[in-house]
Amino acid sequence: MHEASIAQSVLDIAVDNCRKAGYTRIESIRLKIGRASGIMPDALFFAFNALKTDTIAAEASVLIDEIPVSGFCNICGKDFVTEEKFILHCPECSGTSFNIKTGRELEIIDMEVF
Amino acid sequence: MKVKVVTRILEVNERIAAENRRLFDEAGVYVINLMSAPGAGKTSLLEKTIKELGGKIKTAVIEGDIAGTSDAERIGSLGVPVIQINTGGACHLDANMINEVLESLPLKEIDLLFVENVGNLVCPAELNIGEDMKAMLLSITEGDDKPLKYPLMFQESSALILNKMDLLPYTNANTEKIRKDAASLNPSLQIFEVSCKTGQGLSEWAEWLKTKVKN
Repeated sequence: MHEASIAQSVLDIAVDNCRKAGYTRIESIRLKIGRASGIMPDALFFAFNALKTDTIAAEASVLIDEIPVSGFCNICGKDFVTEEKFILHCPECSGTSFNIKTGRELEIIDMEVF
Repeated sequence: MKVKVVTRILEVNERIAAENRRLFDEAGVYVINLMSAPGAGKTSLLEKTIKELGGKIKTAVIEGDIAGTSDAERIGSLGVPVIQINTGGACHLDANMINEVLESLPLKEIDLLFVENVGNLVCPAELNIGEDMKAMLLSITEGDDKPLKYPLMFQESSALILNKMDLLPYTNANTEKIRKDAASLNPSLQIFEVSCKTGQGLSEWAEWLKTKVKN
C-alpha cells in the first residue's frame, strides 16, 4: 500500500512518544502488522531507513510482529487461523459466512529508547 | 528502556475522518465514497445519477484526481456544488484532504455528497474519509476476475455498480461470476447493473440512493 507514508507516521508517532517520555534516542520500534493490512515489510523497512536520517531515530530498527488472518466461522462454529491474506471460504468447512477477527492490524506496540 | 506506545499507525487519518463524519452528521449529509479503476465511468455515473435524482435530493460532489479539472467542469455544468481536489500524485484521497475543502461546501444545503475518489482499485479502499458508505464501480470491460484480484475494495464497499452493461455482448465477462465472487467476499453487497450510455438500470440505483438519504 503506502509504505512510505506509513513509515513517516511510525517515525512521527515514535519520535513524539520518545520525547514525551523524556528520552532522546530510539533504538528500536516494534510494530504489529496484520497480513491482510496491505503492508509489504521490506518496502516499509526501506522507506523507514530512508526517512529516519537526521532524526532521534537515525539508528533505530523496525521490528515487525506479523499477525495472521483469523476468524470465526458461522457455519461450522469453529475458530480458524489461516496462512492466506484473503479468504473466501472457511478453511475448515468451506462455509462462506464468517467473521474476521485479526489480520488488519497496523499498530505500534512499543519501542526501546535511551 | 522500553516505552509502551500501542497506537494505531493510521490514527491521525481516523481522527480526522471522525471529525468529518461529525460535520456531515450535524448537517444531515449522507456521504458516499465512490471508487473504481480509472475510466470505469465514475463521473458519467455521477452525471446520470444527479439527473436521475432531479432536484428533489440536493447533491454535491468532491472530485479527486491527480491533476486536472475536467471532471469538476462536467459536474459543475449540471448546476450542483462541486469541488476539485488535485492530489498532485497521491493515488487516493485521505480524510485531511476532505477536511480542508469542507468549509467551501454549503453542507447544510446538501442531502447527498459524492466523493469521487482517485481512479485506483487498491488504495482508496484502505482509508476512511468520514463517509457513510463506500460504493464501487466496475465496468464490465475490465473483466470478471476483478473481485478475486482486488478483494479489499469489494469487501469494504456497500454497493457495486456494474457499468457499461451495453458492452457485455462484446466481452468475455460473465456477470454471474462477478456476482458470485463478490457475494462470497461480501454477502451484503448490493449489486446494480447499469449502462450510463443507454440509461439501463440507473433508475433502480437512484431509487436505492433515495432510501439512504437522511432527510
